[in-house]
Amino acid sequence: MTYNAATYQAALEKLHHHLQGYSPLSRGEFRQMEPFLEVREFDKRVRVIQEGEVERYLNVVAFGLARKYLPVRNKEITIQLASEGHMIHSELSFHYRIPSRAVVETIEPTVFFSISYDSLEQLYEEIPGFERLGRLMITDLFIKSDTRYFNQLRKSTRERFLEYVRNHPDMVRRVPQKYLASFLNIKPETFSRLKHLTRGKSLKG
Amino acid sequence: MLEMLRQYISGYVALTAEDFAALGDKIVVREFDRRQLLVKVGEVEGYLSFIVKGLARMYFLKGKTEMITNIAKEGELIASSSSFLSGKPSYYYVETLEPCTLLSISRADLELAYRQSPNIEKLGRLVTTYFVLQKEEWELECMRMDTRERFLRFIGNNPELLSRVPQKYLASYLNMKPETFSRLKNHIKKRPVAGRPS
Repeated sequence: MTYNAATYQAALEKLHHHLQGYSPLSRGEFRQMEPFLEVREFDKRVRVIQEGEVERYLNVVAFGLARKYLPVRNKEITIQLASEGHMIHSELSFHYRIPSRAVVETIEPTVFFSISYDSLEQLYEEIPGFERLGRLMITDLFIKSDTRYFNQLRKSTRERFLEYVRNHPDMVRRVPQKYLASFLNIKPETFSRLKHLTRGKSLKG
Repeated sequence: MLEMLRQYISGYVALTAEDFAALGDKIVVREFDRRQLLVKVGEVEGYLSFIVKGLARMYFLKGKTEMITNIAKEGELIASSSSFLSGKPSYYYVETLEPCTLLSISRADLELAYRQSPNIEKLGRLVTTYFVLQKEEWELECMRMDTRERFLRFIGNNPELLSRVPQKYLASYLNMKPETFSRLKNHIKKRPVAGRPS
């Protein structure tokens, strides 16, 4: 996608719409927020933050797709996948100002709306409605991460696969299979086998 | 009792006396014997609780095995937090391990407090952020550290829990076999933990 003023406006509209899903944010409040946003553009397969760097930004995906992974003993464990409208950054590093142990990498060409740590603090100070928005976005993040954690511990490989495919058919098309397999903690071979199972069959069974 | 909570909150945000009173009004004191279930799988968690005294654990069943995902003591929060935040049924059981005194607030009252004071709203954001960070740190440790490292780190941070929590629960929490846990424990008895890995 070529990124220009019109697509920027379109992305801003989408961002506002997405944020409204968390908390009513007036157009006025949203306009106040705009100057704090930095637009950052990346090609596909670019590491936005590397292991050992301190995360400077909280990112919201405007266009594209990114993943977060942990490099562990020559392997990459994908712990988050984020498409348009979702937050992705190295949280521990961002909040505690410590070197990141996670890597954020784009999967597709991606445009982020990014907010620096200081800008975020300033936003919370200056825009009353923002505190609530922040709380609700973080709550959503926590619930999602807890659900994923629980599913990994409790559900079978097959259940995890079917549930994900049912709830995120778009992601199954967009995300390379090996990343999805890693994200769901399923061996790539098993993942392919399960994928065959779903062909031409209803997923409801 | 409230003083302990005030201390805890001051680690996050400076509340005015008025803010704190608005919060204090909504807090209920709950007392539990040991081995009481605070919430069951499938129930919606009604309260977010601050532990004034006692010890509690959160777990779920995988087949017949109890898998412990959290152990909380005095000065910490306990709740089936996702359920409390989402209003959806809990994935977990929460149970007291010792007699507990809790300062609890219901979801509706907490919402009310958020609307009464921006400082309390901020407290809510910071506590929830802490939940997220704690979870991420825990997952990271589980993936990156070996059994021995996890054991040493946990015992280094919570030495008193070694005598308060049944060993099989600690082993479950640290996701290791009870035999491994007791081997590691015997090992540090001989050689006290010094210069543990950070």
